[in-house]
Amino acid sequence: MTTSTFVAGKGWLYRFDPRAKILLMLLLCVWFFLPVHLVGLYCVVALVMFVGALNTGFSHVSKTFRSILPMLLFMVLFMPFNVRTGRPLFTLCTLTIVTEEGLLQAARLAGRFIGISYVCTLLFATTIMNEVMLALRWYRLPYKAGLVVTLAFTYIPFISDSFNQIAESHRLREADREQGRKFLQRLRDLVPTLTSALVVALRSIPNLAMSLEMRGLGLQNKRSQYHNLASYRHPFTHFLLSVIIPLVLWLLCKA
Amino acid sequence: MQQNRNALKVAVVAVLTAVVVVFTMVVRIPTAKGYLNLCDVAICFIAFTFGPWSAFIAAGLGTALADLISGYAQWAPISFVVHGLEGLLIALIVRQKNDKEAPMIRKLLAGLVCIATVSLGYFGLSSLFISTVSVAAAEIPGNIAQSAVGFVLGLGVSGAVKRAYPPVRSLAW
Repeated sequence: MTTSTFVAGKGWLYRFDPRAKILLMLLLCVWFFLPVHLVGLYCVVALVMFVGALNTGFSHVSKTFRSILPMLLFMVLFMPFNVRTGRPLFTLCTLTIVTEEGLLQAARLAGRFIGISYVCTLLFATTIMNEVMLALRWYRLPYKAGLVVTLAFTYIPFISDSFNQIAESHRLREADREQGRKFLQRLRDLVPTLTSALVVALRSIPNLAMSLEMRGLGLQNKRSQYHNLASYRHPFTHFLLSVIIPLVLWLLCKA
Repeated sequence: MQQNRNALKVAVVAVLTAVVVVFTMVVRIPTAKGYLNLCDVAICFIAFTFGPWSAFIAAGLGTALADLISGYAQWAPISFVVHGLEGLLIALIVRQKNDKEAPMIRKLLAGLVCIATVSLGYFGLSSLFISTVSVAAAEIPGNIAQSAVGFVLGLGVSGAVKRAYPPVRSLAW
């Protein structure tokens, strides 16, 4: 199982300080809820997608779009029928089917959804998880919380592999019963696989706890760190840009 | 002693978070409208076995990380709140002072709370922040099915794990 969301690249977004990038992501997410012109909203969405394509490549942008497409279609197809206020555009006998207000709301929500999806995806596609954690630590995320996330990422491939092996063994044992099983029976048959996978995972806890203890977790001495964010130059400029970009976009697009 | 306990807490939460991520991402049962994932099985198991705080952190963090890894980062905060709350509430309802099993009526109540938290939580938060009321409402049946199946399987798995690996009781905090 691949747990990395990072897409290798050399664009300017990769050189942007992760702490400032988190701030920019949050401010842009808030920006999408501000009262702005519809054209302005779509211009900003297009800008975010363009920046994404420049930095992570067109294939990543299209992959992200494909992943949100089903929900987007659902939203665009059904939203206009739920809003009855405004100028009617399509009526059947006396029943109003689609109004201008409904179409505008659907367009606004779809734009907001695409924008938020891309902004969030770009942060994790252009920043390695280790640096996201360091940036969150800079924002005063407790050390133990950061450690939990890092350890969880380490254990995901191990538990996933164990689970797949166990599932394969159970499937081999029940190869003759595989055909024509009902949904409930298939669910019931999952219990032994899930139980075995959980026991394997739980057995690793005492060893992990012991190694953490041996490495001095909980001691008062300040811990040394091999990784830091010092390689990112001009953090002040990046923070300034993170505040200025949403502000300028809002001034340009406000309704 | 306190240091020892801290290490155990971190280890328990980290491994349980990884378990929730794996159950969310690896096991997908195809249905007519998409697929069911088994995150609720892991969450219910953790709530029944490890108590409210482990359940809250592991469930919230695990599902949020699964969303991040799968490329649905915008859902991560919602998943954190909804599933974290789900784990916390189930664990609070079934928590017993002694080592005995919780009575059936409490388990039933926990099941109802689990279904209500997931379906209403996703409905409320996603219609407020991400999609629309109609789109969020369309997801309610799927969420009800997933959490109901997850709760029943979680209950079964919880008992089976306690029998297969009795030291699990000493890991709870």
